[in-house]
Amino acid sequence: MELQKLLKIPKKAVWRRIVLTKKIIDLIEANALQLSKEIKRELLLHQSTRSYQKIDEKILHDWIYDVCSRFSYWLDEDREKGEVQQHYKNLGRERLLQGFELPEVISALYLTKRRLWAFIAASREADSALNLNQIVEASFLLVRFFDHAVLHVSEGYEESLRSKYGYEAPLSNPERLSEAIAAKQKLEQPIYEEPKLPSLCFTKGMIRFG
Amino acid sequence: MLVRLIEMIENNAASMAKELKGKLLSDPSTSSYQTLVDQTLYQNIFEIYSRLGHWLLRDSEKGEVRTHYSSIGRQRFEEGFPLHEIIQALVATKRHIWDTVLEKGIMRTTRELDSAVDFITYLNRFFDMAIYYTTLGYYRELQLQQAS
Repeated sequence: MELQKLLKIPKKAVWRRIVLTKKIIDLIEANALQLSKEIKRELLLHQSTRSYQKIDEKILHDWIYDVCSRFSYWLDEDREKGEVQQHYKNLGRERLLQGFELPEVISALYLTKRRLWAFIAASREADSALNLNQIVEASFLLVRFFDHAVLHVSEGYEESLRSKYGYEAPLSNPERLSEAIAAKQKLEQPIYEEPKLPSLCFTKGMIRFG
Repeated sequence: MLVRLIEMIENNAASMAKELKGKLLSDPSTSSYQTLVDQTLYQNIFEIYSRLGHWLLRDSEKGEVRTHYSSIGRQRFEEGFPLHEIIQALVATKRHIWDTVLEKGIMRTTRELDSAVDFITYLNRFFDMAIYYTTLGYYRELQLQQAS
């Protein structure tokens, strides 16, 4: 029950959550170097992230290491709203200019998340003191962080598409959006027909429906 | 236990789809969804929740997940949706599942928590792939349009 209460705590109590899952976060940070190496290798080999082979390996390592070594810093909710949002929007813009395709950038984030999640899940087997509440809670933080990262990377990438190539999704335009909503509402309006009243005629005091 | 969690979502699919539809339609960050016919939007969400076991326990890196979500990506591109709104909607679809699991309070015992860990793994793997292939479908369509 405690876990459920914790996971529902809105916004401010993140540090409390982080204290509770500190052991796991510490483990990630303590193993950041090894994890970064493994993630880098995976990005270089995976067919969905081929453009990462063009990046200098040292730079690629540093990008990944920055996430793994400061994981608690990135999970802080205030930064999630501000700095994380800004960081990943910038990353999206930057990756377009560097020639990466958006699906590759998203795949790289997911491969990173998957490796970290596998590490968290495996930590439990290695350390019996870690309880399941902590594992579930850490996964919740991990998932939320990467959800935000993917979302903001896409926003940044789309912003760059607009500024560099002039492409903008039609429904991003408020006028086009209003028109499309109005068209849909029209389509959904039930077709109203005047109800046909039965024609009445009186015959010998009786009402007959014609 | 994992099956129990999945069945719980499948059994509540209708009410959950209705709730999420309401959220997507009122959330400014998914305003493009207001252009979809209500019944279509409901049906799309219901399709995920009512067959969650089917989606979660399939090989999500290939086959049906790939085909279905690439096609959704292409379709939404044609309809003029911004990509980040589609991603936002898929994330909201996933979170609604998780919120329902928490609400129903079925994570008390060690066994239940163990299943929750498995559930999280399957759930995230599926939605990661759904988002990835939606992006891929959308992006390929965008490239085609830019090339022509």
